[in-house]
Amino acid sequence: MKHKNSYFVGLLIILFFGVFAIIRGQNNPTLQLAAGGVTSVCYVLWGIIYHLFAKDIHFKVVVEYLLIGVLAFVFLATIVYV
Amino acid sequence: MEHFFRHFFTPHHTNNHRAKALHHDSLLFYLLILAVFNFGIRVAHRQFPAVLGYATDIRLEQLLQSTNKVRIGRGLSELQLNSILSEAAAKKAQDMFANGYWAHTSPTGKTPWEFITGSGYVYSIAGENLAKNFMTSQGVVDAWMASPTHKDNLVKPGYKDVGFAIVNGVLNGEETTLVVQMFGAPEGGIAMTPNSVKPVEVVTVNAEALNTNEKTGQTLSMNAFPQVISNMFSSVTEHPLMNIPTITRDIVFLFIGFLIAILIIDGVVVAKKRTVRVTGHTVAHVLFLLGMAIAILTIQRGVIV
Repeated sequence: MKHKNSYFVGLLIILFFGVFAIIRGQNNPTLQLAAGGVTSVCYVLWGIIYHLFAKDIHFKVVVEYLLIGVLAFVFLATIVYV
Repeated sequence: MEHFFRHFFTPHHTNNHRAKALHHDSLLFYLLILAVFNFGIRVAHRQFPAVLGYATDIRLEQLLQSTNKVRIGRGLSELQLNSILSEAAAKKAQDMFANGYWAHTSPTGKTPWEFITGSGYVYSIAGENLAKNFMTSQGVVDAWMASPTHKDNLVKPGYKDVGFAIVNGVLNGEETTLVVQMFGAPEGGIAMTPNSVKPVEVVTVNAEALNTNEKTGQTLSMNAFPQVISNMFSSVTEHPLMNIPTITRDIVFLFIGFLIAILIIDGVVVAKKRTVRVTGHTVAHVLFLLGMAIAILTIQRGVIV
């Protein structure tokens, strides 16, 4: 359980810095999009690492993280470039 | 109907114990819907700008008032609206539309100071702030105040005069509302007339240029009627029936809310039934989407340079 918690602390750190960078990049769409892109990539990597260590990694799990990451990025891009 | 809802929204043996709404093909379908929405809203805007557009209310007097409010709050003198600087700002805005760029210096190397001196304002110090695609005057000034370089211009004690141009047009294929703010202090304390142009050394430079390369936009001749320029570009107000940024925000948050709700239902049912399956971590997905939603909530329309 302690091991699992440390992964979630990692995820929260990724999210904290991602959200912080997007907020700090106000009125700078390029920076906001870059921050969102990096956060999404970090999330996908976090998912892969998490499931690798949990020993339940599967191709369809990787695809799921990729799709969720891309969806979140497209949500952000839709708002940034409206 | 009940079967459809159970299959689509809850984990069940008919959907391999994962709500159909969270399957890969469903997620891909959401991406497709978003792409169609983004494309469709732009096409609809071009066809029916009065129905579907960008609500804008930016006025010269509000910009001047907000600028001076900031200065008075810091014990500085109020800036006087100067028609020559407004004319220079209008010329700069037109040049950006005509030559398809969004920067302090044009692709041909023309600086803001050339617009200022070209209009006949001979300065000891001068500065320029640019903004585009904001919805309100206050939004423009707030964004400038949040940027150290733009704020420096707003609260520089040496400035005496200010000019504005607010212009709507098409910049690089995108409908754009440009705001140009030009500051100055006349050389020797006297503002020169348009007929006594004399280039002087630039003292203040505030340039963080962005490069653009397409050419579109308005082609108003600035030399034809210089005396009416500042009146023509003193406000942009548009009130379409439906505001694109509002609709877009609603759709995006509807999607995020929908995904989070399905993930929570899916996670709760699976935890209750103690189903063993191979999927991503539901709590992680919820946290990630919530984080992105918080970030998206803070995003405001408008860019400064």
